[in-house]
Amino acid sequence: MRKMANIATQAAQALLANKGRALLTILGIVIGIASVIALLGIGQGASNSITGRIATLGNSTLTVVPGGSAAAGLEGGGGGGQADQNSSSGMPFTSMAGSSLSEKDLAELQATERHPSIRAVAGVVSASTILEIHGHQQRVPLTGVTPAYFSIYGLKAQHGRLLGDEDAKEKRLVLGSQVAADLYGGDDPTGRQIKVEGQEFTIVGVLAASEESAFRNPNDQLYIPAAVAMERLGIKNYGSLVVQAAGDDQVGLAAAEARTTLLETHAIADPKLADFSILSPQDLVAVTQQVAGTLTALLTSIAAISLVVGGIGIMNIMLVSVTERTREIGLRKAVGAKTRDILFQFLLEAVILTLAGSALGILLGFGVGDLAGTLLGFPPVITPRAIALAIVVAAAVGLVFGLYPAAKAARLNPIDALRYG
Amino acid sequence: MQPLIELLQVTKTYQSGPEKLQALKGIDLTVARGEFVAITGPSGSGKSTLMHILGLLDTPTAGTYLLNGQDVTRISKGRQAEMRNREIGFVFQQFNLLPRATVLENVLLPTVYDNAPPPVARAREVIEMVGLGDHIRHKGNQLSGGQMQRVAIARALIMGPALLLADEPTGNLDSVTSLEIMELFRMANRRGTTVVLITHEPDIARLADRTVELRDGRITHRARGGRR
Repeated sequence: MRKMANIATQAAQALLANKGRALLTILGIVIGIASVIALLGIGQGASNSITGRIATLGNSTLTVVPGGSAAAGLEGGGGGGQADQNSSSGMPFTSMAGSSLSEKDLAELQATERHPSIRAVAGVVSASTILEIHGHQQRVPLTGVTPAYFSIYGLKAQHGRLLGDEDAKEKRLVLGSQVAADLYGGDDPTGRQIKVEGQEFTIVGVLAASEESAFRNPNDQLYIPAAVAMERLGIKNYGSLVVQAAGDDQVGLAAAEARTTLLETHAIADPKLADFSILSPQDLVAVTQQVAGTLTALLTSIAAISLVVGGIGIMNIMLVSVTERTREIGLRKAVGAKTRDILFQFLLEAVILTLAGSALGILLGFGVGDLAGTLLGFPPVITPRAIALAIVVAAAVGLVFGLYPAAKAARLNPIDALRYG
Repeated sequence: MQPLIELLQVTKTYQSGPEKLQALKGIDLTVARGEFVAITGPSGSGKSTLMHILGLLDTPTAGTYLLNGQDVTRISKGRQAEMRNREIGFVFQQFNLLPRATVLENVLLPTVYDNAPPPVARAREVIEMVGLGDHIRHKGNQLSGGQMQRVAIARALIMGPALLLADEPTGNLDSVTSLEIMELFRMANRRGTTVVLITHEPDIARLADRTVELRDGRITHRARGGRR
């Protein structure tokens, strides 16, 4: 309707007539929207970044850890992180002293004819040791592995060779690229002796640098045969088993096959009573995304409170404006404005204010998000959905908090209004 | 010909606390098309109340008001607003311009509430007519009192109303400017607009065709004006 357009022009002119005040009025909305946009962007960015790092674990690997699903807490995440992080905690195996994953389990799972969806299985024993690097004592993760470990994680030798079946009982060792660089600079240390926990080990190879994942840095570790590690630690079982599925699409099948076999070898009839858990990267992704999502939602709700405060600010200024413009309202009514025309104009003024605030807030949010992203080391991801949300919420704030002042303006009696002041 | 305004036994009672204040006590008034009528009387006589009723800003407590033959006391508020927009132009003592808007924007104000694009050409015409062609882009707060009242008259005429209602339009102006403003009312009247003017100044009232004197809510005197 043409009249609506005319009134909209009046609303815009009224706001432009006092730009300074309009700007101050929307400051609260600008800050509120900016925080919501920045936080949503950072949250999404963090979630994407973690998901990306988990993907480097390999989408086709499963980790079998001791302990039932109840003990593992959240099915998936907690247990998996714990199992691998033990390597750097310096408290090896305390949590898995009674590990249920035996040599026999590994052998059973490696029987390929019974497990068409499993390509390879490796046993892992995580520990740590202290090395002297550049004159400082430093704790370094020490991982006992069976040979398949290297192929499962795509780890290649840069110098020398990897650990093989023939090394199973020998004091031989492979260095991660970072440890090698720290200890020997650029030199090839193959064939040298290194003292680990009071025992001489022979370095048989150095790994090529490999990408870090969220839970494991293959470059800062020492690798020794799993059996040697067990002997050193006085334990009989593996800390965890790493199962590689035959393909990305067979992870579920591989998990089912591994579960069936392990339940059998452990003689457990009820799967709920299993003394192990099988974790997949997908579980980790789901859990981290859930955590990231919850955190983002929490922070965003706090930011949203500032939007309510901003809305109250708009309401206050609009109420002042209605009082100041009492005569104008009276005049408008005298020259033919209906109650709903006045209501529409003042409501529109509030919504224009909040929408302008959201536009500025979105720009500021991009800026803050970028800055925070630079500091945190991952790019914020501001989705069109977040922007749409900001606009819709801002318009809603304008409508809700503009309604009372607009109704007050619309209700004014023109005779009283014209006499006012 | 049907008169433009016909008031029949119009009363207006205000209730303020326990006391009833009767502002109008049975007014009979007829204004023909093309007339220029001045309503005079001391303050408190009820002339402002009468003007509010004539201008559809207020409704009578009892009695009938026929505008253009239509009983306007029985129509909805929305319809009254439409009538104020199209049929009535207001000029106030306080000018009531939008101070930050230009002369053109002020004159166009009533057209906002008409369902049509702003008639800018017509506005320029009316502004020329009131003698402010050179000030069309000036802001309301950059004008003298006389100029402001000229803008207000242009604003009242922009919709081509049948009735021009002026409430003490010269009350804030010096005598020379007052006469200039009155000349504008006469010009509008010559072009066919019916003018009803409220004033307490006898010199101003004399410039109308006819004078109606109000006292204590009743019409006490009717007289032919002296100009024609």
